[in-house]
Amino acid sequence: MIRLALALVLVLALAATAAAQGPRVEPPGGLTGPGIGAPVGPLVPPSVPTEPSTPDLIVDLSRPRVSITSAFQGESMLLFGMFDPPGEIVVVVAGPPGRETVMRKQRVLGLWLNTGRQAFDDVPAYYAIAASQPLQRLLARGSGEILSLEDRLATVKPVGERSPDEVAQFRNGLVEVKRSEGLYPAAIGQITVQAGRLFRVELPFPSGLDEGVYEIRTYLLREGRIVAAVSRPLPVGKVGFSAQLAGWAAHDGALYGLGAILMALLVGWAGGSVVRRL
Amino acid sequence: MEIYLPIAEMSINAFVLLGLGAAAGLLAGMFGVGGGFLATPLLIFVGIPPTVAVASQANQVIANSISSLQVQWRRGNVDLRMGLILLLGGMLGSSAGVWLFTYLNRIGQIDFVIAVLYVVMLSTIGLLMLVESLRTYIRRRRNPTGPRGKLHTHYLVHRLPLKLRFYKSKLYISALLPIAVGFAIGVLSAILGVGGGFVLVPAMIYLLGMPTAVVIGTSNFQILFVAANVTLLQAITNGTVDVVLALLLILGGVVGAPIGARVAAKLPGVVLRGLMALLILAVAVELLTELIRTPSSPFSLGTRESAL
Repeated sequence: MIRLALALVLVLALAATAAAQGPRVEPPGGLTGPGIGAPVGPLVPPSVPTEPSTPDLIVDLSRPRVSITSAFQGESMLLFGMFDPPGEIVVVVAGPPGRETVMRKQRVLGLWLNTGRQAFDDVPAYYAIAASQPLQRLLARGSGEILSLEDRLATVKPVGERSPDEVAQFRNGLVEVKRSEGLYPAAIGQITVQAGRLFRVELPFPSGLDEGVYEIRTYLLREGRIVAAVSRPLPVGKVGFSAQLAGWAAHDGALYGLGAILMALLVGWAGGSVVRRL
Repeated sequence: MEIYLPIAEMSINAFVLLGLGAAAGLLAGMFGVGGGFLATPLLIFVGIPPTVAVASQANQVIANSISSLQVQWRRGNVDLRMGLILLLGGMLGSSAGVWLFTYLNRIGQIDFVIAVLYVVMLSTIGLLMLVESLRTYIRRRRNPTGPRGKLHTHYLVHRLPLKLRFYKSKLYISALLPIAVGFAIGVLSAILGVGGGFVLVPAMIYLLGMPTAVVIGTSNFQILFVAANVTLLQAITNGTVDVVLALLLILGGVVGAPIGARVAAKLPGVVLRGLMALLILAVAVELLTELIRTPSSPFSLGTRESAL
């Protein structure tokens, strides 16, 4: 018992010192440091007004929304459409922006623990980009508002003061983790074009998807210039039983907790009685 | 069969969770402890976020303790007075524990603290059990009847103030000690998602000197309410109780427990405890390896906050 208590004190002290080393995250609404990287963000109005569809470009999705049900394991959605040739197609899928906190582990006394943290604002929950030609070639000609993942991530805003080098390290860490979770798919496959005017692409969504309204922008490019753009919202959300439980847990924790207790009491009691009779 | 866990926000094979629950139930049936101390690390191994694993496991503990309390209560094996005194400490301890949990979660150290506490706790218990069962085994070999230990040990307990008479436990000791024991178990329960029976039972026998007959029932009584308190507070402060996860674990446990009890009846106690000790040590070693080994990536993400 004494040994256990000693160990507890030791661990807490270790964790507290480690936490003190990293800068604290400012509360939302606090001072934010100057944005590193390009000042152009998604706030810049698009050069071409986006509409549900234009005569040059028609886009549709295989399903109107991503429904996270009790059986959800991630989903692949088909985006397809038609355009007026000639031209190239680029599709950008962006999840809602939010704050992500990146934590970095270091070895302390032989054990790996979080010693540094850095928060970023305006981080897209999901980001994927696909094109009907190798993307580098299309973007090299400077298509303005179309941002590759790297360019988009250069616009996220670090919270607090830190050297640009360090911020860049944390930003790379952010991309690394998001990519491993399938939220920043590196290559979602090329857009295939048939008969010179029909195009289609599969958009992969993993099971650990954040909720919110995603935006799918489809661009038609001719000689490196955007000639038409179509924007479509894609709602991603829990539905049915999952949605009810999650909503209940988020908005009325006390009631949800009491429900959880009651469930455990009933099932435990009934289960125990039934099994003993067998 | 894949199932989406609404709070953990991930999909997982339902049979993995049912199997895990059954394994914990098996242990519960074999050794009379909750099995939470093995289930929580295993949940973390299969990828459930530690915060959700701990909170949901507390929910599972409720079901586990009510079903054994059913039997113990009927047999009159609950020292209600002792249970209530322990519970007083347990409520305070678990509330403090949830507060500590929330704080550690905010500073990003909760995963580390959970892992380290498990390593310390499991390796201590595993080694103690292993040594004890080896010693018993050797002693039995030499002397089949076996010597008897003392019934009571008298020291600190009998000198503290606030003495109370516990008729069922045949004790006259200070209430401070059971309160302190309850408090410590409450903190453990909140941070690790365990009932704490595997610490509470030895503490009641060796520290408080309670007779073995009432120990299991009384500890179940205290664990039931402490687990309920942890579940409620976790749901309110962190929103990390996943009822779908808990339900699958509970259902698995309902199947596993009677099988465990049947196995336990066939194997000699010494062998049983030896096996359990090895299992506990294996989990401790695995957790320690995770802490020491260079991670595939030094980076991880905290909880996402969406901009509204």
